[in-house]
Amino acid sequence: MGTAPAQLFPEFLAETFGLPGVLGEVVAALIAAAVVGNIVLAFTGVAGPWAKRKITAAFTDRIAVNRVGPFGLLIIPASAVQLLAKELIVPEGVDRPSWDIAPVILPASALLGFSVIPMGRLGPINFHLADPEVGFALVFAFASIASISLVMAGYASNNKYSLLGGLRAVAQNLAYEIPLIVTAMSVVLFAGTLQMSGIVGAQTTTLVTIAGIDIPAWYAFVNPFAFVLFLTANMAEIGRNPFDIPEAPTEIVAGYQTEYSSAYFVLFYLGEFVHIFLGGAILAVTFLGGASGPGPESIGFIWFVVKIWGFFLFTQWARSALPRVRIDQLIEIGWKGMLVLSFANLVLTAVIVGVIA
Amino acid sequence: MSLERPDTTDDAALERTPDELEELLGDLVVKRDDHLNAPGFVIRPDTVQETLSTLKEQAGYDHLSVVSAQEYENRYESIYHLKKFDDPTQEVSVVVPADKDDPVSESAEPVFRTADWHEREAYDLIGVEYDDHPDLRRILLPETWQGHPLSMDYDKDRPQIATLPEHANPLQEHHKDSESDTMFLNIGPHHPATHGVLHLKTTLDGEQVVDVEPDIGYLHRCEEQMAQAGTYRHQIMPYPDRWDYISAGLLNEWAYARAAEDLAEIEVPEYAQVIRTMGAEMCRIAAHMLALATFALDVNGDFTATFMYAINDRERVQDLLEDLTGQRLMFNYFRLGGVVWDLPEPREEFFSKTRDFLDQLPESVEEYHNLVTSNEIFQMRTIDTGILPPEVAKNYGATGPVARGSGVDYDLRRDDPYGYYDELDWDVVTEDGCDNFSRLLVRMREVEESAKIIEQCVDLLEDWPEEERNIQANVPRTLRPDDDAEIYRAVEAAKGELGIYIRSDGTDKPARFKIRSPCFSNLQTLPEMANGEYIPDVIAALGSLDIVLGEVDR
Repeated sequence: MGTAPAQLFPEFLAETFGLPGVLGEVVAALIAAAVVGNIVLAFTGVAGPWAKRKITAAFTDRIAVNRVGPFGLLIIPASAVQLLAKELIVPEGVDRPSWDIAPVILPASALLGFSVIPMGRLGPINFHLADPEVGFALVFAFASIASISLVMAGYASNNKYSLLGGLRAVAQNLAYEIPLIVTAMSVVLFAGTLQMSGIVGAQTTTLVTIAGIDIPAWYAFVNPFAFVLFLTANMAEIGRNPFDIPEAPTEIVAGYQTEYSSAYFVLFYLGEFVHIFLGGAILAVTFLGGASGPGPESIGFIWFVVKIWGFFLFTQWARSALPRVRIDQLIEIGWKGMLVLSFANLVLTAVIVGVIA
Repeated sequence: MSLERPDTTDDAALERTPDELEELLGDLVVKRDDHLNAPGFVIRPDTVQETLSTLKEQAGYDHLSVVSAQEYENRYESIYHLKKFDDPTQEVSVVVPADKDDPVSESAEPVFRTADWHEREAYDLIGVEYDDHPDLRRILLPETWQGHPLSMDYDKDRPQIATLPEHANPLQEHHKDSESDTMFLNIGPHHPATHGVLHLKTTLDGEQVVDVEPDIGYLHRCEEQMAQAGTYRHQIMPYPDRWDYISAGLLNEWAYARAAEDLAEIEVPEYAQVIRTMGAEMCRIAAHMLALATFALDVNGDFTATFMYAINDRERVQDLLEDLTGQRLMFNYFRLGGVVWDLPEPREEFFSKTRDFLDQLPESVEEYHNLVTSNEIFQMRTIDTGILPPEVAKNYGATGPVARGSGVDYDLRRDDPYGYYDELDWDVVTEDGCDNFSRLLVRMREVEESAKIIEQCVDLLEDWPEEERNIQANVPRTLRPDDDAEIYRAVEAAKGELGIYIRSDGTDKPARFKIRSPCFSNLQTLPEMANGEYIPDVIAALGSLDIVLGEVDR
């Protein structure tokens, strides 16, 4: 579908450095994965200690970090050292090893999601690790592993607030995963494939030309209704305002992560940010044409980064402006509202696609 | 029976003379013991419920402001200060002496729910025991405390050797049965949403609250005892700033000033009254801004823009107050008979700064309405949650924005005028929603009314002839009110009716100094609002009560 299949990142590495055979493929895959993983982690490194503070400050009439380094950027290493140097407090009665595994699963699941995301080209490199035929299904599967981590953390912490947070996380994910995926299915109907490159490729055509400007066939333009549904479900899926119910600091302290400190806390924090970026990446791939944008295809990666950071900005905006819904209201919106709407959208899309095709 | 609507026939609303009241009570009255503010009837300790319910149902005294207890050389005494919500100038005191050796008197809790906590406090600090009280435990001091600190034989040097037992799990006692699966949860004393050190013993069924019991006293600083150790003239005034410390200092100071001035018959010059009124309303704006800000924290979550915006606006009032009083938190600006100094020079600068603030305020309020009250998620969260019906509010002695959010039209600034309020043009704000949303709305609208008051005060002060700017009455260096004079006086503080009861013993220090804290009574309504709701709504209800633990615990 769409353009000719691009060379994936591991293949590019294997070819460039002449790594032969199966072993070469493995080595190239590992290196490529490490590169992509580090790029994503670098995003979160910038986002967590610095960008988030600056963005929230801008929304709330403050200045935020500005003393450490230019624009306060050196707060990033400072925060890293500070967080990692703290004592790791292990409360009595925690259920090990699940208490220790939980903070690893969260970032891992989100990072795994990036393995199938086509992040676009930068020069000769195509930041796309794997392109399996069911990549689209896979990315949702990876993303939802996160819930297990939250439940584990909540249950193993031996803390009632954590338990409540864990329970809330499950209820919320159940209520929003289904609308999310059903809405995503409508995109699959359009694209006719579950392959990530195919879905992105299908969005590169021109939808209409208005006043000499080509509007690309991004599914956000083709089906804005599905886009809004998906965006909302996505916010709930990654647990951001107004759906930050599993954490809800003023209600249940910090939810499932109440008892975590030091490195474990960093892992959770990291996991949440990677999740936001994964949410942005899924949104970009599904509805915003992936890495496509003005200019040559070789700067597509930059467009992709802009898109996921745009999504990050959106989450922070919501965080500054919107009240939090209550857990029962959230479940109600999920099961009675979003689920119905997403199925309506699916049926409608199916009919339209069927008539046109 | 405690929730019964008081009989509001014409007969009950009628203002009765003290003699008519005595006639109504008949044999219940042992003798008269009038206070400066109200007629007082001494009754037998076993007729408290009968007397209070007669007064409540047949004479319309539906507001039990406070129960103040004290120990005399020969007896203990509890005083029930009653008022009418419709007309708080109609007051009556019911004086209940109790035996020195066995201080037991009947509890008023079945008649007025608010007596629950007030009597527990009297038991805790003075040692009067109340028969028929549902739950007579200590309330401010730890449960293992030895002795009653405000009683006469209390030995303050005796060490408190008894340690707290390991925290008992109330689940084992009350809530565990085979039918339901409930979970006991300690919210606080250190929790992001308790607005200080408050401990809510909460029993949950899933996410729903089955039972919540506020546990207070973490910030008890013996304010009453400290006031009793200070002289009227100078040493008490700094303390009120420390009760409701959310920048409501001048409002608190006024409570003491009003009680002491009426006790010592001091006339405050009109000019000082205008300054007081202006300063007090500035404090009210600052306090309500913080209430809005923290309520946004509770409902929106931390890092909400509303919080910072409201703090920003509060900062501007705070600057004005700093110019006026020289302080930002502990103003200590009032003196008996007036205020400590005149407006800051140059006066024009202060006036123009104040006017700038007032001019910009409507815009800010509009922004809060855009950001908060018109937000649909916010409405979904707050409308019809934390319901406090007006009759329940009255029964618990709720006052201030909490009562007015339940449609109880009660504001001492209008109903029991003091200062310069009755000369000015402003309105009492009420909302009928009885929910979290209404309470917030009342505060936001009160900010606008306060602005109106300040504006009129500024106009008055600007035109005040220079030679008539008398900021303080001539008050003797040492005040010694008459022996055995008793008074209860209240003002409308940011949170509601803040009252002071003083008994003088002829010396320059009060023999009994009792603080009626509005937050104390308001917080008592929390279980009524919270039971059956979800945890987030309990947090919202607590936020909408706008309590300050410094005032709850004193």
